[in-house]
Amino acid sequence: MTAATTARRRRWVSRLIPNLVLLVSAVFFIAPLLTLTRYALQNVPTVLLSWDTLFDKWSLKGLTKAFSEPEFWSTLRLSLQLAVGTVLVVLLLLLPTAIWVHLRVPRARAFVEFLTLLPYMIPAIALVAGIVIVKPYARWFLNSDYSLIPFYMVLALSFTYRSIDAGLRAIDLRTLVDASRSLGAGWVATLWRVLIPNLRAAILSVSFLTAAIVIGEYTLASVLLKQTLPTFQIVFVGREPQAGYGLNLLALLVTILLFVVLSLLTRPRKTPRRPFVAITPPADPGLPQ
Amino acid sequence: MTVITTSAQTADGGRADGAAPVVSVRRRRSWAWLGLLPFLSFLVLFLLIPAVSVFINALRTEQGWSLSALREGISGQNWVALKFSIGFSAGSAIVGVLFGTLLAYAAATATRPKWLRSLVSSFSGVAANMGGLPLAFMFLSLLGRQGVLTKILKTTFGLDLYAGDFDLGNIIGLIIVYSYFNIPLMVLITLPAIDGLKPSWREACANLGGTTATYWRRIGLPVLMPSLLGGFLLLFANSFSAYATASVLTDNSKILSRRIGFFLGGDIGIGESAVGYALAAWMIITMAIAMALYWVVRKRAERWQS
Repeated sequence: MTAATTARRRRWVSRLIPNLVLLVSAVFFIAPLLTLTRYALQNVPTVLLSWDTLFDKWSLKGLTKAFSEPEFWSTLRLSLQLAVGTVLVVLLLLLPTAIWVHLRVPRARAFVEFLTLLPYMIPAIALVAGIVIVKPYARWFLNSDYSLIPFYMVLALSFTYRSIDAGLRAIDLRTLVDASRSLGAGWVATLWRVLIPNLRAAILSVSFLTAAIVIGEYTLASVLLKQTLPTFQIVFVGREPQAGYGLNLLALLVTILLFVVLSLLTRPRKTPRRPFVAITPPADPGLPQ
Repeated sequence: MTVITTSAQTADGGRADGAAPVVSVRRRRSWAWLGLLPFLSFLVLFLLIPAVSVFINALRTEQGWSLSALREGISGQNWVALKFSIGFSAGSAIVGVLFGTLLAYAAATATRPKWLRSLVSSFSGVAANMGGLPLAFMFLSLLGRQGVLTKILKTTFGLDLYAGDFDLGNIIGLIIVYSYFNIPLMVLITLPAIDGLKPSWREACANLGGTTATYWRRIGLPVLMPSLLGGFLLLFANSFSAYATASVLTDNSKILSRRIGFFLGGDIGIGESAVGYALAAWMIITMAIAMALYWVVRKRAERWQS
């Protein structure tokens, strides 16, 4: 046996367990997706499922049936409104806060980071228990469907703040701000034309992940009796099992789509960014040096 | 008003004149802290007040303040539920840590398909966030009473899954289902740590006469340990607090989050409501312990990864 074959065989043996792990994981993660798809798209009860009936009665009806339900559209609308609202308020509150912390109170960084971990300590079901207690004192607010927005912000806080914080760490914030301010830009212009473009990736991932969390959130909505899409998903499964599974498959696909779009949008650029100087208008020759 | 001008001057280059008066520095700092006010009041209103009211309501009974509800929250059926929840959460955290680390290692060291590693890490990013309702329906269609795998096991292998006490709401079932988001989360946690294992360490170990086993026992595992422990605690917290998935899978009231849900659902007398809040309080206490440990472990992990 030559040395080369021995080496190849040794390599093969050492890769045996990792490859097995990859294979088993692939099966574990793909199988449930496939069976959910089958249940949603194939109108054959599992009892009757066999090699003979494997290709019978496939149709998209399981997916589209929900569209004819008025409740689907009303709950979808509320969920989308909540998602957009939460994303906007998250950005409006957290972006200035994080920038402020980095520029003016860097000493507070660890403290704020600790605060943003607090929501992780209070699971959604415990938080909603607290909301139920407070409800009689703040009915004017909590009766509104949109009162879910601040609580959804709390649920998303630990990762939203950390993403923005990481984005800020990656850029030279102080230099950018000083440069922008010394060129005569006000705070709004600095935020809008310098910081936000530089934080694009962080802002996008915060927006998409927050939207995904809000669209899928069930605990708060169900205990507080708000008619969001996930609560309808449950009701609909009870009424129309197959189409209900179809609706859940649809919700899953939309979530996956959000992540795919996000990763496409935040993909690192292949071509290096044009240098900063090239974008700015040519310097005024009359400027005193 | 004067303070604002002082702070503006300082920001615009008041630093340049060298001898900035101490007073203005202190004032500037106190104004800077005020910038956190919107964020802090948001946390107080929507996180702190609900959380504190859970504890207040757990401590308040018709006879005044007492620990009786909290004590009731950890006795009898409630104690069984707390133990069961900690048990299955720890179990699924162990499974997640084990398979997540193996998967991360397999993906990080695989050389052949170049896209494999990025596929594993981006899929993990998606699947780690896939808790919730669709996850439960996925596993009902696979392993439920009418599940496809249940049927295949029965007809092909003659193994009746539901003959014993198997149920998706029992410990084995919950571990399997929660692994779907726990394993990917662990992959995301350990990939950076595994990348931090330098090949030169392995060579150094071999040069000194160490075997692969020595390398893992004396170098690899000790270096990875903080990430593994931190991952364990995060996965534990993740499983412990999951509600939506469990509420579809089962009516098992031994799951603490489900039990609190039943109390909040309303079929309880006035006196018992304090017990429901006591359960929520114990849940927060358990999570607080897990997160405090996580905080300590993470501080240690940062030492290795820097």
